[in-house]
Amino acid sequence: MAETINQATRKGFLVDTSRCIGCRSCQVACKQWNKLEADKTSNKGTFENPRDLTPALYNRIKFIEKETSGAISWLFFNERCMHCGDAGCMKVCPSPGALYRTNDGIVAYNKDKCISCKYCVSACPFNIPRYGTDDKVCKCNLCLDRISGGMVPACAKACPTETLKYGKRSDLIAKAKGAKKALYGESDLNGLGVVYALEGPPEQYGLPENPSIPLSIFLWKDVIKPLGILGFWGSIGAMLLHYVTIGPKNIEDDEEGKGGGHE
Amino acid sequence: MKKGKVAAMSNYIERFSTSERVLHWIVTASFFTLLLSGLGLYSRLFTGYFTFFGGGQNAILVHKIGGVIFFFSSLYMYFNHKKDVSTFDEDDKEWVTKQGGYLSRDEAHFNIGKYNPGQKLFALYVAAATVVLGITGVFIWMPVLFPRWIVQLSLLTHGLIFVGSIMFVIVHVYLATIGNPGTIGSMLYGDVKKNWAKKHHPKWYKESTTENH
Repeated sequence: MAETINQATRKGFLVDTSRCIGCRSCQVACKQWNKLEADKTSNKGTFENPRDLTPALYNRIKFIEKETSGAISWLFFNERCMHCGDAGCMKVCPSPGALYRTNDGIVAYNKDKCISCKYCVSACPFNIPRYGTDDKVCKCNLCLDRISGGMVPACAKACPTETLKYGKRSDLIAKAKGAKKALYGESDLNGLGVVYALEGPPEQYGLPENPSIPLSIFLWKDVIKPLGILGFWGSIGAMLLHYVTIGPKNIEDDEEGKGGGHE
Repeated sequence: MKKGKVAAMSNYIERFSTSERVLHWIVTASFFTLLLSGLGLYSRLFTGYFTFFGGGQNAILVHKIGGVIFFFSSLYMYFNHKKDVSTFDEDDKEWVTKQGGYLSRDEAHFNIGKYNPGQKLFALYVAAATVVLGITGVFIWMPVLFPRWIVQLSLLTHGLIFVGSIMFVIVHVYLATIGNPGTIGSMLYGDVKKNWAKKHHPKWYKESTTENH
């Protein structure tokens, strides 16, 4: 298990949202390769479908509607696990090996080791992990089975406009920078594995400007946990110290000198 | 309320009734079950504790069952002693200002009733912790049914209150055993020596002996 990321060899996506035409080939290809059932959806008056990630939908195109002088236009956004360099899900997962990092820097998971605590659901900065009827974590794993066989992930393979580009993360970023693209996720959370070239400010896409592990999760894991261990041993130490310095409160035996039997 | 039976010839006086003792040990057993099953959830450092239960998933199940038992037995215990633990009088103030004599070897005497302020504080903390751990526990139990910020806050709070609890319990165990010789009997067979009662809880001793005369 590679806990630290080799930024030089790290693999990932570059998502150039300006190229996306909203065809959702990525959604379909993902479902096909990962053998995911179709979700029943309903018409909510938008072309966006489905409206959220589900246990059977690891990536989707988010449609952001903009109205300019009566005409509707869209921003498209590929929503999926970002494979954070500093991943909240991995930080909180209590079951070693359930969520793990591959040598390529991908946040993968092993359902057999998942203990269904769902801590990852709370710790993800982007609200990505879902739990299905098997009560196990599921999310995009960058088609681990494909890339380990030298293929590109199903979504990138299917993308007709090269919105989704898979490859060595540093190369993808260098190329996008060469094309003067403003990037999202280059260094946040020790670099996202999925870097975006957005067409507007992150808020427009419903993304945090500076994504980070939720404060309460940070306090829980990085402050309370170590202080708690310190507090535990500190308390034991303090009691022992009290015993050998001030000592117990002894009661004088048989002050009354009776010695009358108990029972 | 039934106060201790005081046989005139005995050196002993009853401090806790049978039902009080049984209840206390139910709370204790569920607490330590929760501790063992929860350690692996607290940190990956303690993942080995999962093996006691045959894996993390079972540990979580035990933690949920133990949590329900602890919640109700602990609250029941609090309501049983509510009157004795939730009021503080002038003698208690005196005890607090002199830290109950625990920080000095000098002989100290306080006119303390059934419980001293330290014990009362512990009882009140446990009662409050039971409520908070119970409520946050429900959010953590079913996280997808609640807004994420509530569950995030619950994970934080559950851990924090647990830390306070384990620290309090360490002090509690110390003071009830080697820190105050003669005390543990009250929770085992229910009786303490009269000398113990006169030294630690004179007001209670006076009350319980006169009532039974």
